Amino acid sequence: MPRLLSRRALLLTGGALGGTALVAAVAGTGYLASVDMDGPGAVVDGERVAFNAFLAIHRDGGVVIQAPRTEMGQGIHTGLAMLVAEELDIPFDARIRVEHPVEQLPVYANFAPLNIRPEDPTGPVLWAAKRVLGALPMMNTAGSRSIIGLWVPMRVAGAAARHMLVAAGAARLGVPVGELTTADGYVTHAPSGRGIAYGELVRDAALVPPPRDPPLKPASAWRLIGTPQKRVDLPAKVRGAPVFGMDVVLPDMLHAAIRQAPVSGASVARLANEATIRALPGVVDVAVIDGRSVAVVAQSWWQAEAAAWRAEIAWSRTEADQVTTAKLARDCRQALDARDPHLHLREGDVDAAFAAPAARIVTADYAAPFLAHACMEPMNATVLIHADGTAEAWCPTQSPLTMRWGVGRGARLAGVEPTSVTCHVTMNGGAFGRRSEVDVVVQAAFLAARHPGRPVKLLWSRQEDIARGIFRSQAAARLRAALGSDGLPIAYDAMVAAQAMMHSASRRNLPYGLGASPHGDRFSVEGLDKRHYRFASRRVRSRHVPSHLPIGAWRSNGFSFGTFFTESFLDECAATVGEDALAYRRRLLRDSPRHLAVLDRVAAMAGWGAPMAPGRGRGIAIEECYESVVAQVAEVTVAPDGELTVDRVFCALDAGIVVNPDSVAAQMEGGIQFGVTTALMSRITLDAGEVRETNFHDFPMQRLADAPEVVVEILRSELPPGGAGEPGIVPVAAAVANAIHAATGRRLRAMPFAVLEPDRDGRLRTFLPPATQARG
Amino acid sequence: MVSFTVNNRVVTFSGSDDKPLLWVLREDLGLLGAKYGCGIAQCGACRVLVDGESTPSCVTPVGAVAGARIVTVEGLAEPDGTLSPVQQAWIDEQVPQCGFCQPGFLVAVTALLDRNPNPSDAEINAVITNICRCGTYPRIRRAIHRAAAAQG
Ligand code: FES
Ligand code: FES
Repeated sequence: MPRLLSRRALLLTGGALGGTALVAAVAGTGYLASVDMDGPGAVVDGERVAFNAFLAIHRDGGVVIQAPRTEMGQGIHTGLAMLVAEELDIPFDARIRVEHPVEQLPVYANFAPLNIRPEDPTGPVLWAAKRVLGALPMMNTAGSRSIIGLWVPMRVAGAAARHMLVAAGAARLGVPVGELTTADGYVTHAPSGRGIAYGELVRDAALVPPPRDPPLKPASAWRLIGTPQKRVDLPAKVRGAPVFGMDVVLPDMLHAAIRQAPVSGASVARLANEATIRALPGVVDVAVIDGRSVAVVAQSWWQAEAAAWRAEIAWSRTEADQVTTAKLARDCRQALDARDPHLHLREGDVDAAFAAPAARIVTADYAAPFLAHACMEPMNATVLIHADGTAEAWCPTQSPLTMRWGVGRGARLAGVEPTSVTCHVTMNGGAFGRRSEVDVVVQAAFLAARHPGRPVKLLWSRQEDIARGIFRSQAAARLRAALGSDGLPIAYDAMVAAQAMMHSASRRNLPYGLGASPHGDRFSVEGLDKRHYRFASRRVRSRHVPSHLPIGAWRSNGFSFGTFFTESFLDECAATVGEDALAYRRRLLRDSPRHLAVLDRVAAMAGWGAPMAPGRGRGIAIEECYESVVAQVAEVTVAPDGELTVDRVFCALDAGIVVNPDSVAAQMEGGIQFGVTTALMSRITLDAGEVRETNFHDFPMQRLADAPEVVVEILRSELPPGGAGEPGIVPVAAAVANAIHAATGRRLRAMPFAVLEPDRDGRLRTFLPPATQARG
Repeated sequence: MVSFTVNNRVVTFSGSDDKPLLWVLREDLGLLGAKYGCGIAQCGACRVLVDGESTPSCVTPVGAVAGARIVTVEGLAEPDGTLSPVQQAWIDEQVPQCGFCQPGFLVAVTALLDRNPNPSDAEINAVITNICRCGTYPRIRRAIHRAAAAQG
């Protein structure tokens, strides 16, 4: 098999380990066939031996693990380190250091766009596609794919190093390899009672050719995988250590603040008081970036932001100047009647089933609003263009690849072509899809190119983050079912109208004007196919609804509305035939044992069917997403005055083999809170083309007092790992809507569900809207 | 010119009196633990102790803290590095996800437990109003109770 890029060549020519130490001995290259891991022989770099692209061992026994995915709170650095430590047979303790790699290597690619695992056998087409993604390399943290994608490679990396250490130990001790065992960072010869620490063997081990296909431990031998391990990044985080992009401090650094167009797409017509701004304290530069935004560069961010507040900017008029939320919602509803929607899926003759005279027809329309991400850490990036033309950047990004492109693009806007770009991925203060975007990197690079030799850190204010950001699409759906004599759908028909996410995101983030088609966006129809349910016929269609707002990835994408639509609708079907929502779903899942087990587990956890007090209700929902199956039961209370509280959410999850169950449980807990906030209170609205919400006072967040209790159970599974970062939020909106229906008899078909009113203490309370009020 | 102590160190700031304490800490004193999350006293990521009181430093002009005793998240641990009971509870319960909001929570909870060593859930709800976008609230509640128990 050809090798696109030899890591050895990279290391030797690029000074990729930082150029600090002499890269000394290089063993023969190896090829880890089982994961298509290319070319790395071990590299001795001073006191440290890099065994492959994923791990290095220091002579003092310290292990440095390269985790090529972004830590944004999901605990991925811990999970990936556990996989290496498992096979390497080292203790999971403070001697392990986890880093995000600076090099961008093919083995770090995320194959999410292909929906395959690296270890999957593939035909020639996928083989070629993998090579393309590897050559880029497509490094990003998205789609809940990190463990899915690195489950085998990280373990192979650990096993390969262990093999090399054992071989070196055998030579040192003069005994056959077969008599040696490994544990706790030692190679041990039990018959003679001798043992050697890994650190003492690393230089010898570097000369051992890597094994082509090192065997991995059977599940029965695992001592880390499946056990709760403490997160490696938390000690620094509870001490307040400066680990985030916002915390980057470099010598001679300049700070920048920005003002972007209130109506997305507008350009800067005039900056009326540039001279005044330039004369303000600390201001070093004022710049219009690509005609689209105004940035102020100053000695401190406070000065830059204070000056930006005073900038008098006239923006060009655009066609979107009159757009309102109501207009866009109407566009969505009208698109549901479009005569030429994109057909995603058709099984059986749906139209014939609806035409059958005996069929009972259920139909309902649903809606969901635009949303912001509101990551706790506002958008930021730091870029330094060195005098020699090379560029270096620091960013809390989910996408090191587009970050690298973005630095080049921004610098070129200022007429500078960097000769190379080095990317440092910092910890992310939340991400949720927002940090897949290249915007802030381009802006920072543009500013840095105007100040060669000086790092420029651009930080968006919270106002810019919420009101000038990237949004989740708005959506409307029409669901129809024809129920047969047994009450189950003989036909199921889903039609969704939304802004096609990938169409919008690709054009902003990909080079050469590449862009996905607006038609047939797969993210728009997530949560709609319900393929685990037995329906005699089904159809899924979509229609793109244009909007001037930039649309991007948002935690769980289409599932965040699609599953709300479909799992609410399933309850409506069950209610039509007077059947219990659980019993109805159980009948539909009779051919899906994996789903049925998850559904039954959550029902048992929640005591489904036990009577509840008046004004209280329970709702259930299930989804298959990210190769995991997740079901939730929500319990709500609706007080006589309409106050709505989500009291408790039960969650059962089959995510295949789970590496760190505590992190996975945390993702369910957090995802549920994220989803409850969204379902009850989140919406972005527009007036005269401009987003009205600007900060947490008008784009409010749930607080501790509102947070439901969450009970999570993870089912034992022998399937390969599924995703865990996104499933937690997916069913919760439907479970809450179904619970509200159980409590009140009211069916809420549009998010957000609640009207917000502050009480005397300033705490925001959530009420059901008056029954007559039309919403959405 | 404003003088105050931060984490037991006497500091003097000679810039503008109306610069928010948050930015004095972050930009002039090199203490990056307090975070900027909203700038309008909504999220609590910037909370620090001002004479023992949990205070949003983003809306506190530095001129207002002359002579005050400021403690930031970096000052919660013992000088020898031992974590405070609240920080330790945060590790034991594995509270943080991204961690960006947590300095503000750690500060707010430290102040709460100083005043009320064994708060009820209702008292916690009333006082701890910070925002965590990652949704670590259930663990925060557990960790508060754990820290209260540990402090005895
Ligand atoms: S930054 Fe001060 S409260 Fe949000
Ligand atoms: S841990 Fe991420 S915002 Fe709280």
